[in-house]
Amino acid sequence: MTPVAALLLIVGLVAVATIAGVVVARRDGRARRVASGSLDLSGLGIDTGESATLVLFSTEFCARCPSVKRMLRDVAGTASGATFAEVDLTHRADVASRLRIVQTPTTFVLDAAGEVRARFGGVVSRHSVTAQLDHITGAHHAHA
Amino acid sequence: MPTPDAAPRGIDPRGPRFAAGITAALLLIGTFLAAIGTSAHAGQASIVQRLVDPGFIVLLVVDLLFAWSLISPRTQPWSVLFRRVVQPRLVPPAELEDPRPPRFAQGVGFTVVTVGLVLHAFGVPWALVIAGAAAFIAAFLNAVFGLCLGCQLYLLLARAGIVGRSAARA
Repeated sequence: MTPVAALLLIVGLVAVATIAGVVVARRDGRARRVASGSLDLSGLGIDTGESATLVLFSTEFCARCPSVKRMLRDVAGTASGATFAEVDLTHRADVASRLRIVQTPTTFVLDAAGEVRARFGGVVSRHSVTAQLDHITGAHHAHA
Repeated sequence: MPTPDAAPRGIDPRGPRFAAGITAALLLIGTFLAAIGTSAHAGQASIVQRLVDPGFIVLLVVDLLFAWSLISPRTQPWSVLFRRVVQPRLVPPAELEDPRPPRFAQGVGFTVVTVGLVLHAFGVPWALVIAGAAAFIAAFLNAVFGLCLGCQLYLLLARAGIVGRSAARA
């Protein structure tokens, strides 16, 4: 290869890697609406809240889970009637397949009936979770 | 019945990303040198020419650094550089990271580059360029976006019970 062609290869490589990184990073923490009744959470020992429940799916290897857990706990604490629950999937691959969880952290937002209404894959911002909570409970929260 | 091993002490998650940044730069240089060197027509070059190819040498150095980080992570140059020069200038990390997935990722990098080096030594054309490019993409994604492909692979294997605690009991 000539040096110029090699340089173009290098530039192309960096460009491809950058695009791939941006695409994957943008998908992190985006809410996805869930068809009601499509996900079965029975048997996981989740205590549902009166108005909503935030469920965090984590594993022991999940480096980013602790910060998401703290944030979700805090959001649930400041929202009336909302509770927080965590499900450890380290040894429960069957649960992960059943609920189609492919990454941790994954967060589910449940409504008052305990149905999954929205899910976030990856690290989710407080703002996104609060917005979903507000939407589901129809309430207005003061943002911290 | 073997006792399950507890998760090892956590590491500053910025350490592996710092190392990945330096590694990515070296891999880019090595890939460039390989592209302008004998890799494109490795079959026609003599074995000596293939082994003294600058791309081969740079990628060999990168490979040795991967091996170093697997054998003795704390003495590895980028690890030392991070702890002595970079880390003191940063605020303490919000969380510590399980070191096993990033370590596994180093192993994946080592494997990919080693395969490229060996194939190149045997005269397979483009092997060096492709291996260097693949390893670069993984290192770059880790350094710039914090995405660790090797870690994801580790998690998939851990869920299948091939590595980690479940494997120890199996």
